[in-house]
Amino acid sequence: MNEKTTMTRALDRALDHEAEKLLACIHCGLCVSACPTYLQLGDENDSPRGRLYLMRAAAEGRLPMTSRALAHHIDLCLGCRACETVCPSGVRYGRLLEAVRADLSRAGTTPGLWSVRFLLNHIFTSPARLRWFFAPARWLRRRAFARRWAEGKFLPARVRLALELLLATMPEEGAPRDERRTIPLVSSGRRARRVAFFAGCVARELFAHTNRATMDVLAAHDCEVEDPSDQVCCGALHAHAGEIETARALARRNIRAFERSAAETIIVNVAGCGAMLKEYSELLADDAEYAERARAFAARVRDVSEYLIEIGLRPGPRPLHLRVTYDAPCHLYHAQRVRTAPLEMIRRLPGVTFVPLTEAEMCCGSAGIYNLRHPELADRLLERKIAHLRRTGADVLLTGNAGCLMHLRRGVRRAGLSMRVLHPVELLALTYA
Amino acid sequence: MMSWIAELEAILGDEDVITDPERLLAYECDGLSIHKHLPSAVIFPESAEEVVRAVKVLARHRIPFLARGAGTGLSGGAVAVQGGVIFELARMNRILEIDYENQLAIVEPGVINLALTRAVADAGYFYAPDPSSQMACTLGGNVAENAGGPHCLKYGMTGHHILGLEVVLPDGTIITLGGHGADAVGYDLLGLFIGSEGTFGIATKITVRLMRQPQAVKTLLADFLSVEDASRAVSAIIAAGILPSALEMMDRATIEAVEASVYAAGLPTDAAAVLIIEVDGLEASVAYDAERIVEICRAHGARQVLVARDEAERTRLWAGRKGAFGALGRISPDLMVQDAVIPRSKLPEVLPEIYRIAARYGLRMANVFHAGDGNLHPNICFDGRNPEEVERVKAACQEIMHLCVRVGGSLTGEHGVGLDKIAYMPLVFTEEDLEAMARVRAVFDPEGRCNPGKVLPVRRCRAF
Ligand SMILES: Cc1cc2nc3c(=O)[nH]c(=O)nc-3n(C[C@H](O)[C@H](O)[C@H](O)COP(=O)(O)OP(=O)(O)OC[C@H]3O[C@@H](n4cnc5c(N)ncnc54)[C@H](O)[C@@H]3O)c2cc1C
Ligand code: SF4
Ligand code: SF4
Repeated sequence: MNEKTTMTRALDRALDHEAEKLLACIHCGLCVSACPTYLQLGDENDSPRGRLYLMRAAAEGRLPMTSRALAHHIDLCLGCRACETVCPSGVRYGRLLEAVRADLSRAGTTPGLWSVRFLLNHIFTSPARLRWFFAPARWLRRRAFARRWAEGKFLPARVRLALELLLATMPEEGAPRDERRTIPLVSSGRRARRVAFFAGCVARELFAHTNRATMDVLAAHDCEVEDPSDQVCCGALHAHAGEIETARALARRNIRAFERSAAETIIVNVAGCGAMLKEYSELLADDAEYAERARAFAARVRDVSEYLIEIGLRPGPRPLHLRVTYDAPCHLYHAQRVRTAPLEMIRRLPGVTFVPLTEAEMCCGSAGIYNLRHPELADRLLERKIAHLRRTGADVLLTGNAGCLMHLRRGVRRAGLSMRVLHPVELLALTYA
Repeated sequence: MMSWIAELEAILGDEDVITDPERLLAYECDGLSIHKHLPSAVIFPESAEEVVRAVKVLARHRIPFLARGAGTGLSGGAVAVQGGVIFELARMNRILEIDYENQLAIVEPGVINLALTRAVADAGYFYAPDPSSQMACTLGGNVAENAGGPHCLKYGMTGHHILGLEVVLPDGTIITLGGHGADAVGYDLLGLFIGSEGTFGIATKITVRLMRQPQAVKTLLADFLSVEDASRAVSAIIAAGILPSALEMMDRATIEAVEASVYAAGLPTDAAAVLIIEVDGLEASVAYDAERIVEICRAHGARQVLVARDEAERTRLWAGRKGAFGALGRISPDLMVQDAVIPRSKLPEVLPEIYRIAARYGLRMANVFHAGDGNLHPNICFDGRNPEEVERVKAACQEIMHLCVRVGGSLTGEHGVGLDKIAYMPLVFTEEDLEAMARVRAVFDPEGRCNPGKVLPVRRCRAF
C-alpha cells in the first residue's frame, strides 16, 4: 500500500460505507446559508459544500492529505451539522467530517493539537486521572480571586478565557447545588422504571449539580437509576479531533459497562455525549465483535428531554413565574434530531411564558472545545446569539449541553444581561421544590 | 509597477485575496458542477467602495472578473472561464433600509433572498420572487439571472420587483439605474441590466419592492395517474381564467426522492404526478378559486385533491417542492438540470416526448417544474465519472432543447444562458440578433472583461 492510500483510508472507508454519500452532494448550495462559518466568513471554502468539495478532491487525489487548505478549512468547521438538517440529498456530513479528521490527524496536518491530543489520549481516557485533573479546577472556581484573574489583564488571553469558562460551570443562583462527584442515585425498591445514567466525564466533574437535578427529575417520574461503575468518557471530543481509535476504545468500554445493566434505557443529559452514544453503531460498524452490540447499545440511548416526553412528563406543582427562552444545542437538534421534546417540556412547566429565540438552531460557537481553539470566530457567533437573546427579554435561557451552558453563560455575563442560563432539567427540578 | 495581486491586497487586506490554488478549487464551479474553471483569484469586498477600487485595479491591468453570490446558479454563470478574479459578495449582506410606507427595501447584493422575506414578515410583508433556492441564493444573483420561482406565475419574475440598482461598471464607474418612480425616464437601463447575467457590471446596491402578505392563502395537492392528465389540468386551470399564485408539477421519480429526504412532505409515492397549486388573495375569492380548481382537477382525472389544513402543512409542501432538486441527488452522483420554456398548451405533448428521449439514451429522468409558466426542468440523473454516460446526457439535452424550440419554446426560463446554453443560442436567434446583443454588451463592457465567455457565443472561435 503506498502512502497516499494509507493516508486517505478513513475517508475512503467512510465513502465506501456511505456508498456515494459524498458523491450524493450535487453541489446545489442549499446548505451554505445554514452554515455559521460561511455566514461569518463568506468563503465557499468555509461552507459545507466547499468543505465537501475539498474532501472529494482529497478522496479523488486532486489534493494531497497534507494540503494546508484542506486542514485549515476542515479545522474551522464547528461540526454543528446544521448542514445535514437542510441537505435534501441526504449527505452525511458529520460522518465524513470525522473520517477526514482522522486522516488529517494521521497525516499530522491538523494544526496546534499536541497538548489537546495528550489530554484526550491520556487524561480523558481514565476517570481516575480526570478526577485528579479536575480537582484543582473545582477548587479554583469557588475562589473569589479566580474572578478577579479572569477579569484582570495579566494572564494570557487564552488562559483568561479558560478561566471564564470554568467560572461559568458554577451552578446558577437558586439552582440546585452539588459538588459531589458521586451521583445521588435514586433506588427505593419498587420504582416503576429502571434506567441507567450516563454521567459524562466533564459533567461528572463540573456539572454535578446538573446531574443531581436530573436524578431529582427522574425520581419524580418513578425511575430507579443506576450509574454503571465502569463507564468512561463517551469519546465525542476524540472523534471530533480525529482521534478515532481512542474514541472506539472508549466506545467499547462503555458498551461493556452498560451491557452489565439490566435497565432498558440509557439516559444522557449532555447533547454532545448523547449524539456520540447514539452513533456508536456507526463508529464500530467495521468491528466484527462489536458492531451488533454497538447497535443494541445505541438503540437504548435517550436524551433526558426525549425520555421524559416519551414516558409522559409530570412537572411539579410549584409555579415559576418566568419568561423562558431556549437555544437548541446542535448535537441535540441537528445530530440527534431531538427537536420538539425540549420545547414541549418547557411549554408544560407551570407558570412559564415561552419566548422563542431567533436562530435558536444556529450554533452558539461553543462546539466542544472550538471556543478555546478558535476564540475569535467563536466569539463572533456568540455575539450574534447574544444579540438575539437580548431581544427576547427572557429571565432564563435553557440549553441542554454542558459546553453550550458554559459558553452562553460566559456570553450572557459579559454582555451584562440579567439572564440565568440553565439546563432544562434544572428548571424542571425547581417545580418540585 | 506593483502586481495586480499586491494592489488588491493593499485595498482589501492579504486575508481577503485568495490566490492559493488549493483554496481556489472550491470556486471552480457553481451549482451546475459539470463546468469547471479555476479563477486566478477570489476577493471578498465588504463595500461598494472596495468593489470600485478593485475593479479599477483590474481595469488598469486588463484582467477579467466576475461577481459571485451564493454560487447556486445552474448555468455555469459564476464560473471564471477565462480565469481572472471572482468577486465573492457574500459578505455584502446588509439590509440597508426598510421603508414600509413606500413598500421598498434597499439591500446589498449578498443579502440572501429568504433573509429579506424573513426580515419583513412580522410587519406583514414579503419579497415575492421565490426561487426554489431562496434559502441560499442572493438578491444580486437573482437580479443577474432575473430569477423566477413558483410564485412568479402570479407575481412576476425578479425584474418586476426591482426598483433601482447601483452598479459598478467594468471601468470602475459607479452608476445608478432606475429608482425614480414607476416609469423610466430616458432609456430603461434598469430593465437592460436585470438578467444580464453579470456581463454588464457588478450590482452593489439593490432597491426592491415589498409586497403586502395576502389576506388568505390556500394550497392544494392534486395527484394524478398520468403525467398527461396532470398537464391537461394545468392548461384547464389557466384557461378557466384562474390565476393561481403557483402551479407546480412533480413526477413520480421526484416524489420518491423527496419522500426519502429530510423534506418528506407526505406526497403519494404511487402517483404518476402531483400538482401543487396555490391561490391567494381575498378570503372569498380564494375559497371560490380553490373550489373550482378541485373540480377541474377531478374532471381531468385527479385521484385525490387535498387542501393543506394549516400553515405547517403548507410549509411542508413547499419545503418538499423546494428541496426536490437537491433530493434528486439521492438517485445518482450527478444531476443535469435543463431549463426550457414551452407554451403551456404543449405540455401534454412535449412531456411524454421528453421521457421518450431519456429512455432512448438509457437515462434516468425526473421532472419537477413550474407548470403554470410552461417552464420545464427536466433533470437527468447520471454519474459524471462515466464519460460515456456524460456523452449520452449531452446528446439527450440537445434533443430536448431542439424539441422545445421546435414547439415554439425558448432556451431558458430562469436559470440563464451562462456557459451552459451558449451553444443553443443560434437555435433561437439569428446572426443579426446576436450581433445586436453583442453591441449592447460592448457599450457596458467594451473590453469584454466582465464575466467573459457567457451568454453570447464567441463567433470567431466557434462554428455554429
Ligand atoms: C436547488 C436549486 C433551485 C433553484 N431554483 C430556481 C428557481 O426556482 N428559479 C430560478 O430562477 N433559479 C433557480 N435556481 C438557480 C439559482 O439559484 C438562481 O439563478 C439564483 O438567482 C442564483 O443566485 P446566486 O446568488 O447563487 O448567484 P451565483 O450563482 O453566484 O451567480 C449567478 C450569476 O449572477 C452573477 N451575479 C451574482 N451577483 C451579482 C451581482 N451583484 N452583480 C452582477 N452579477 C452578479 C454571477 O456573475 C453569475 O453570472 C435554483 C438553483 C438551485 C441550486
Ligand atoms: S445541500 Fe447537500 S447536496 Fe446541496 S450542496 Fe449542500 S451538502 Fe451538497
Ligand atoms: S458542520 Fe456546521 S460549521 Fe461545519 S460545514 Fe456543517 S454547518 Fe458548517
